[in-house]
Amino acid sequence: MTLHSSRPDARTDLLHGTLDMLILRTLQWGPQHGYAIGQTIRAQSSDVLQVEAGSLYPALQRLAKKGWVTAKWGQTEQNQRAKFYRLTPDGKKQLLREESRWTELVNAIGRVMKPAGAPGSGE
Amino acid sequence: MAILAWFKRRRLDEADLKNEIRAHLAIAERERMADGTDPRSARLASLKDFGNVTLTTEAARRVWTPWWVEAAHDRVSDLRYAIRTLAKNPAFALTVIAVLTVGIGLNAAVFTMLKAIAFKPLAGVDRSAKLVSIFRETASGRQLPLSYPDYQYVRDHDHAFSGLMGSVLEEVGLGQGQSTRSLWGELVTGNFFDVLGVGAERGRALLPSDEAGPGRQPVVVLSDGLWRRDFGADPEIVGKTIDINSFPLTIVGVADPSFHGTTVVFDTEVYIPITMAPQLGFTFGSQQTTPSGILGDRRATVFFPKGFLRPRTTFASGAGQIEALGAVLSRDRPIADVAEHLRTVPFWQTPGGVSKEMLPTLLVLTPMGLLVLTIACANIAGLVLVRGLSRRGEIAVRLALGAPRTRVVRLMIVENLVLALTGAFLGVLLASYGIPLLASYAEALAAPRRVFFNLAVDRMVIGFAVLGGCGSAVVFGFVPALQSSRVELVSVINQVSPRGTTRGRMRAGLVVAQVTVSVLLLVGSGLVTRSLDAVRHAYPGFDGRHVASVAIDLKQNGYDEARGRLLYRHLLDEVRTDAETESATLAAYEPIAVLDTPSQRFAIEGYELQRNEELAFLSNTIGPDYFRTLRIDLLAGRPFELRDDQGAAPVVIVNNTLARRFWGGAAGALGKRIRAGNGEWRTVVGVAADVKYIRINESPRPYVYVPFLQSYRSAMILYTRGPAPADALVERARAHVVALDANLPILNARTLASRMNGALMLFNLTGMMLFLFGVAGMALAAMGTYGLVSYTVRQSTHEIGIRMALGASRLSVVRAFVGRGLRLGAAGASLGVVSALALTRLLGSALYGVSATDPISFTRALAIVLGGVIGATLVPAWRAARTNPLTALRYQ
Repeated sequence: MTLHSSRPDARTDLLHGTLDMLILRTLQWGPQHGYAIGQTIRAQSSDVLQVEAGSLYPALQRLAKKGWVTAKWGQTEQNQRAKFYRLTPDGKKQLLREESRWTELVNAIGRVMKPAGAPGSGE
Repeated sequence: MAILAWFKRRRLDEADLKNEIRAHLAIAERERMADGTDPRSARLASLKDFGNVTLTTEAARRVWTPWWVEAAHDRVSDLRYAIRTLAKNPAFALTVIAVLTVGIGLNAAVFTMLKAIAFKPLAGVDRSAKLVSIFRETASGRQLPLSYPDYQYVRDHDHAFSGLMGSVLEEVGLGQGQSTRSLWGELVTGNFFDVLGVGAERGRALLPSDEAGPGRQPVVVLSDGLWRRDFGADPEIVGKTIDINSFPLTIVGVADPSFHGTTVVFDTEVYIPITMAPQLGFTFGSQQTTPSGILGDRRATVFFPKGFLRPRTTFASGAGQIEALGAVLSRDRPIADVAEHLRTVPFWQTPGGVSKEMLPTLLVLTPMGLLVLTIACANIAGLVLVRGLSRRGEIAVRLALGAPRTRVVRLMIVENLVLALTGAFLGVLLASYGIPLLASYAEALAAPRRVFFNLAVDRMVIGFAVLGGCGSAVVFGFVPALQSSRVELVSVINQVSPRGTTRGRMRAGLVVAQVTVSVLLLVGSGLVTRSLDAVRHAYPGFDGRHVASVAIDLKQNGYDEARGRLLYRHLLDEVRTDAETESATLAAYEPIAVLDTPSQRFAIEGYELQRNEELAFLSNTIGPDYFRTLRIDLLAGRPFELRDDQGAAPVVIVNNTLARRFWGGAAGALGKRIRAGNGEWRTVVGVAADVKYIRINESPRPYVYVPFLQSYRSAMILYTRGPAPADALVERARAHVVALDANLPILNARTLASRMNGALMLFNLTGMMLFLFGVAGMALAAMGTYGLVSYTVRQSTHEIGIRMALGASRLSVVRAFVGRGLRLGAAGASLGVVSALALTRLLGSALYGVSATDPISFTRALAIVLGGVIGATLVPAWRAARTNPLTALRYQ
């Protein structure tokens, strides 16, 4: 997942939105720092989605600006300093919205790709 | 708290992000080391994995940047880039800016004049273009001022105007005795300042109460200019008394400095209540003798009432209401046996006004200005196109590096805008320095009368120039910019020479267009300059050289009619004994009077008026020797003599036009009788040749002369002719007047020739403008054609080399190129002639003494343009042909 664009257009908006959703989703299980968020997404997607730092940190800034996450410096289990991000109530609501939109989108795409009446859709 | 947080989090915390990235790297590094990697490769791998730190920070920062800051930043960088690019090629930039400066400067000048006449005719009056004037129209179409009682009736019964004022411009004498100075004054109604919304800088303006009754309010308001020039800006001026036409008036105030009166071009210096007019000796053509009689006379012609319509009244409905009032007036209280109408016109169409006179000329100047701008644009388009060619490499590299085409086009548009706006700015500067020069030229011509031109370069003009600049940028820059951006990468980068068929066609098109427009412009300016020349050199019907004119007004020193007649006789006797004087005479009006003199209704014995027909002629009151002194031919009969006095039979001299129209010629007119209004019948004793009476470009009109001893006037002009130098002649004439009455004010004394210069001021002014336009347009066109043609030739250096290597002579090469240039030139010239033939027809009414298809103007224009094209081809072709064929071949 490569995201560096200087200018928002429709395509990157969709990608931005998706990345934001993934980050929010990752934070649902508790506060995490940036590196861990990247690693989590990577692990959960079985190494398919690799979030670059160049996309991750701007995305975190974006979420912070919108008030969906808050950040606080803390210690990792290995006793390293790191900045931990935590979902806000607004962020939780946003995640729900994103999820339902996502489901809708996936279903819609699925219907297009495998129409119910079309041959080969009976598998 | 939330608000505080909002403020705090408006921008990126850079240090925090830096720490965060550092932490990220540390964690990643440690994790790698935990997997067994050595510290050094762990650090490198983490850094590599993270990617570009600067870009990340940049992207994070952008999250917090408001969109408009980013957009502005882009524009600023575009602008910086554009300026840098232009600075790299200063010759190009300076040429374009210079061409635009001239183009926009000329247009701004024309626009300023147009503004002065149509959009903002009166300085110091808000929305002055919205003023509306009312006049009387007789059945024969004569446009007359209203009388004072008619004005009062209309003012009191009208509902269309928020207020109706009246004002009439008169020449008045300020001061006493020999120090009297002649200046422009307006006799105004009490609501004059109210209606116009003009205030007083000191004291008060005139008020409706100042119009109480004839002679009741001897007050005056000064102009700021008069107050400063003649009274040294005296702070105690209010309450002092000045003499106007030898009548003391109390100064009640000084008008707002920006206000110069309501007569375009004339600089009014005093404002006096109209009810004081009889005391100052103004009768407005009334035969009444008492002040209340003059002001109550409905046959007097005083002024054209003016005012602003009420907010929700349309012009049509306002005009309808005034017309209806006029109908009531002429039904209930008819003053003439023929019907009269009250008409309403926008201010600039006020009868006899300068605006109405000047507008046709300006309407010629406007398209000429636009043509100059068109040439300028075509010029620049050519330059931009040529430059685009040399920038193909640069553009190709930019496109290859991934710049979107829109971005490239945008950059070029920004470049063009930088050029255009600089040009617009300099153009406004040029106009704002040039216009005062023209104005002061006009002022010098009009001196010692004061004129005022509302020619300030204001926001309206600047807006116009900026609009013009941006418009031209679009015209000259857009197409070439698009073309340049449509560069084929491969061919450019492989250095394939440009296959410029479209470009070649476009260049050829531009040459043709330029030539066309130049021909059009040159024909137009040629026609108009020739017409102005004809006007200036037109024989006005009299000879003003070696003639001194001294204007006096006996009422200014309290003369009554009996004493006045005596003084006139003495004066003429006195002057005639002077050995230095060939001849001398008196007359009420000067020829080419510029200001309309009142016309009178006449009846001709034996001539039946048709229904609604009316005979109205201009007339003059003259002394003996008038025709001899001004060298006007007498075609039949005899001149007036001193014996044509009150006791003798009433006589009259008519001009040739009148004689021909009613009696078939000069000889037939003698012995016939005519009369003015209901006056006594006068016998025609002579017929004089036609003269230009009001304007140099007027068509012949009927004219009547009455002997001065049979028709007394207090304001007369003494003319003397003699061999002495002009100034000495004027001084002698003045000395004669002083010798008779040292206290009689002399309104002005100068040569008739110099008075005529003042009268021709507007012609000279437009002549000057047209000359400038012609020169500028021609220079631009020649430059543009030269540039384009010589560029084409230079592009063909290779071809020339081949031709010459194959044995072509220098001459044949040059001939080939000149032939090519001439073909383009001929195409443009024929288009130009055709469009000029179509368009100059529209000039018809503005021309004088030249036909719209004047062959001299056409030939001259063609010769200049084709000569320019030949020169523009010849020089570079010759230079190319002189180069060594080998060099030429190696050129590419």
